[in-house]
Amino acid sequence: MERRDFIKISALSGVMATLEGCRSAEKQLIRFVPEEELIPGIATIKPSVCTVCSAGCGLLVRVMQGEAEVVRHGQQGLIKMGLAKKLEGNPQHPVNQGKLCARGQASLQLLYHPDRITHPIKRIGPRGSGEFQAISWDDALKEVSAHLGTLQASGSANSLAFLSRPLSGQRGELITKFLKTYGAPPPGWYQPFDEAVLRQANLLSFGHAALPTFDLASADYVICFGADFLGTWNSPVAQSIGYGEMRQGRPGRRAKLVQIEARMSQTGANADEWIACRPGMEGVLALGIAHIILAEKLAPQGAGSRPGPLIAGWQEGLPGYAPEAVEKQTGVSAVVIKRLAHELTQSGSAVAMIGGPPLAHTNGLFNALAVNALESLVDKQSVLSFTPQVGDAAPVQASLAALHGLSAQPPQMLLLYEANPVFSAPPSARVREALAKIPYIVSFGSFIDETSAQADLILPDHAALESWVDNVAESGSSRAVASLAPPAVLPLHDTRPMADVLLGLGRQLGGEVAKALPWATYDAMLRAAFVPLRTRPGSIDVKTDDDFWDAAQTQGGWWSSTSTTPPGAAVKRAPLSAASPEFAGAAADFPFYFLPYVSQSFGDGSLAHLPWLQELPDVLTSAMWSSWVEINPKTGDRLGIKQGDLVEIASQQGTVRAAAVLSPGIAPDMVAMPVGQGHENFTRFASGRGANPLSILAPLTEQETGSLAWAATRVKIARAGGPEQARLVLFAGGMSGFPHEEQPR
Amino acid sequence: MAHKWGMVVDLDRCTGCEACVVACHAENNIPTAGEDQAARGRAKHWIRVERYWEGDFPNPRVRFQPVLCQQCDEAPCEPVCPTYASYHTPEGLNSQVYNRCIGTRFCANACPYNVRFFNFYNPEWDKPLQLQLNPDVSVRSVGVMEKCTFCVQRIKAAEIQAEAEKRELKDGEFTTACAQSCPSKALIFGDLNDSASEVARLASSNRGTKLLGELGTKPNVTYLERGTWEDANHG
Repeated sequence: MERRDFIKISALSGVMATLEGCRSAEKQLIRFVPEEELIPGIATIKPSVCTVCSAGCGLLVRVMQGEAEVVRHGQQGLIKMGLAKKLEGNPQHPVNQGKLCARGQASLQLLYHPDRITHPIKRIGPRGSGEFQAISWDDALKEVSAHLGTLQASGSANSLAFLSRPLSGQRGELITKFLKTYGAPPPGWYQPFDEAVLRQANLLSFGHAALPTFDLASADYVICFGADFLGTWNSPVAQSIGYGEMRQGRPGRRAKLVQIEARMSQTGANADEWIACRPGMEGVLALGIAHIILAEKLAPQGAGSRPGPLIAGWQEGLPGYAPEAVEKQTGVSAVVIKRLAHELTQSGSAVAMIGGPPLAHTNGLFNALAVNALESLVDKQSVLSFTPQVGDAAPVQASLAALHGLSAQPPQMLLLYEANPVFSAPPSARVREALAKIPYIVSFGSFIDETSAQADLILPDHAALESWVDNVAESGSSRAVASLAPPAVLPLHDTRPMADVLLGLGRQLGGEVAKALPWATYDAMLRAAFVPLRTRPGSIDVKTDDDFWDAAQTQGGWWSSTSTTPPGAAVKRAPLSAASPEFAGAAADFPFYFLPYVSQSFGDGSLAHLPWLQELPDVLTSAMWSSWVEINPKTGDRLGIKQGDLVEIASQQGTVRAAAVLSPGIAPDMVAMPVGQGHENFTRFASGRGANPLSILAPLTEQETGSLAWAATRVKIARAGGPEQARLVLFAGGMSGFPHEEQPR
Repeated sequence: MAHKWGMVVDLDRCTGCEACVVACHAENNIPTAGEDQAARGRAKHWIRVERYWEGDFPNPRVRFQPVLCQQCDEAPCEPVCPTYASYHTPEGLNSQVYNRCIGTRFCANACPYNVRFFNFYNPEWDKPLQLQLNPDVSVRSVGVMEKCTFCVQRIKAAEIQAEAEKRELKDGEFTTACAQSCPSKALIFGDLNDSASEVARLASSNRGTKLLGELGTKPNVTYLERGTWEDANHG
C-alpha cells in the first residue's frame, strides 16, 4: 500500500476523528506507515557505485528494515525504513569484481555520520565562525535563484564560478552544461594529488590523456617507480586483484615486483626488491636501464620506437645515461641497473609504471616520459593499456589553476561541491583569502569543513547511497564501464541531491539554461545519457529502452564487451632533455626532502571524519587517531629523536608538529607524513587532531604542466618535546609472549 | 559429514590494505574505542595486520601478516573459562557465549595470539551511527569478552538456507566479511572437511604453516608463506 493511499483511506473511514487535536493529521500518520515493502530480518541487496575515489567501484548494498528517526514534511518521527547495513563489492562489476577497499567499506559512515548537515543552513556569524541557522528549502532556493538571476541580468554571468572535485559521468556534464548556458566559465575541478602530469605524459607517449590500466594478472615482471598501486593510486582494488593473480594465481609462475621510491609505501612493502632512488631522479634511473637495453640490444627491434624519441638522445642510444653516470645521479648502483635491464627483458611479460611522488617534482613530466619510454621498450604483451571510454569526452582533470583563477579574479558568486581547498591546497594558493573576497558562496556540502565553513548558504546534498549515482571508469578495466545506480535507501534527513537542485535552479532561470537542461530530475538526465548505449555490444542485450534502463539499474551500470585499447601513437614534439628536480629550500638550511603522502586511511584527507578509518591502524606503523612523521632511525639517533617524540618540521612556508615514527623504510635524508589529519574544522572525529603536511608545502610546480610539485619541498626537523606532548596512538597488536616465533617467512 | 570451518591466509597475496579490518568492523558491530581508549590499548580489531621489519635502509624488508582468531582445535582460551563462555562448537569454532561471560579475562591471558578483546565500557554510537549496526550480530555489553567468530551469523544463515532447500552447502556459497572484501584474495574461507573446497586444497599446500604451531594449539587457520621470484622462475 502506498502511503498516500493509506492516508486517503484513513480519512474516509473516520480514523481522522481519533487524531483530533493534532496539528496536522497527515503528518502524524506518516510516521506509522512503512515507506517501503521490506520484510523484517530479510536483507535486500541493491547495487550502488562507490564515490569516495575516482576508481568508481561497483557496490552491493545490504539493506535491511530498521527504525530510523527521520524528518518528513517538517516533522521528526520514527519510521520503519530500509537501512544500508554493509557495503560489498559488486561481483559483476568489471573494475572491482566483488572486492572493496577499506575506504570504500567505511564510506557507509558517510550516510550515518552524526555531524551531517541535516537541512539547509544560512550563515549568521562571521565567515568561518561556523555559526549557521536553519532555513527552509523554499527560502534557500529563492535566495540562490535571486542571486543567479541578478548576476545574469546585470551582465555579470561570467562572474559565477563552480568549484568541485573532478566528477566523471553525468554530474560533471550537468555542471558543465549549466555553467555554459548560464554564461559562466567552465567548472574548476580541484583535488590535491591531481594526475595532470601523468595524463599529459600518457597523451604524449601513448596518445591517451588518461590514467593507464594494467593487466597485472598476465605480468611476469613489474618495475614500479613510486606508484602506490596497491594502496591508494589509480584503481587500487582492480590493481590488487591483478596483483594477487600475478603472485599466486598461476601455478609455477610468479611475477617479481620491483619498487623504486625513497620512502617505502604500502606497495613498496610488498615488493620483492625495494630500491631507494634519489627523489626526482626516477626518470634518469629509467633511462639508465633503457640505455643498457638499447646498448646490448636486449629488446626486440623497433620496441620503444614510439614514445622513446620524446627523450633527447634516444635515437643515439641514450649516450648520457651510462650506468656509472646514472649511479652518481640516482644513488642506485650500476650493477643493480644492469641486472634490472637483464631481468626486465628476460621475463615473459614485463611492465614499467610510474605514479605518485616521481611526478610531483618540477621535472615530473620528464620522469613520466622516461618511464613510459622504458615501458614501451620492455612491455611485449601490452600489460599497460587504456580503458575504452563510453564517450569521447576526455577525463575531467583537476588542477591548481582552478584555485589560481579564484584568487586572480574573485567571482561574484561561488558554488562549492565536494572540494575542500582551504585544507588541501598549499598555502601559496591563498584560498582562504580568495574566498573572503567572494561576496556570495553556496556550498552543497554534507559536512562543515574548512571550506564550507566560509559559505553563506549550505544546501546539503544527499549521501551517495541516497542518490542516483553514476561514474565512468577512466582506468581499471579492459571494458568501457558506465556505472549507474538508483538510490539504495530513502533519505534520512531534509537534504536534496545537488543534481536535482541544480536542475531546479536551471528551470527557474529559464532561457538557455532551462533549454539545455530539460530534465525534471537527475535520473531523467541519466536515462537520456544511458539508453543510447543499448545498441552497443555490452553487458545488456535487450530490445527496448525501458528494458535497458531497468537492466542497467539492476546490474549497477553497463559495460562493453569489447576489450582494451592498446597504447596509441606518440604525439610528435621536440624531445625533452633531462631536467634536474628543483627543491624549495637550500640543502644547507633545509637538509631533508619532505614527502606528504596519500593516506591509506583517509585518501587525500577527505575521509578523516569517518571513525572506522580514524581507528584503522596504519599498516606500516599501526598508528591510529594520530599524525606522525616517518624518520630513519639513524637520523633519529643523530638528532636525538626517539620513537613517539614530538618533532617540529619546518619549511620555508611554515611549521607543523607531529609524533616521530622511526622507520627503516625511509631514506636518511627524507621525512614523510601522511595526509589527512590536521583538520581545524571537520566534524567531531577529525577536528583539532594532528597536523596537515600540505600546509607547509612550497609553491613549486611541475615545469611543463603547472601541476603542484608536492614532493619538492625541503624541511628541517628538530625534537620539540617528549612522547607525552606528541600523543602517538599505536594499536597494541603483536604476540608479545612470542617475539621470535611469530615471524612469517 | 559435519563442517569444519577453516581459513587460509596467503601471505604472498596479502598487500596489507586492511580492507578486511574495516569489513569486519562493519559486519560485526565492533565499536570504535576513540582516541583516549585506543591509547590505553582498548581498540578492538578482530582481525589486524601485523608488520615485521627486517634489515636497515637501504635494504629494509617488511612483511605483513593478518592475524585473527586461529579457531584452534586445542584452544588455550577454552579450558580456562570458569563459566564455559569460551566454548568449542561441533563445527570447530572457538565461540564466545556472551551471556555466560563474567569477564574474568582468563581467556585473553591464555590466548597466545592476542585476538580476544574485552569490553571495558558499554559501546556507544553517536546517533544516527547506530543505524549501521548489523541486526544479525549482537552488540556486546560492558564486562564481556569478544572475538572473531568466523562470521558465525553468515555460517548459520547459509546452513539454514541450505537445509530449507534440502541440499548440501556449496563451497564458496558464502564467506566471511574479511574474505569477501579482500581484493587480492589473500583470505580464503571454507569447509576443511570438504576435500574439494578451495580452502582444503590450499591448506595442504607445501607453503602452509601454522601460527605458533609449536604450542600445540592446532589452529584451523593456515598461513601460506611468501614465495620468491627466484624460486618460482629459477629454482
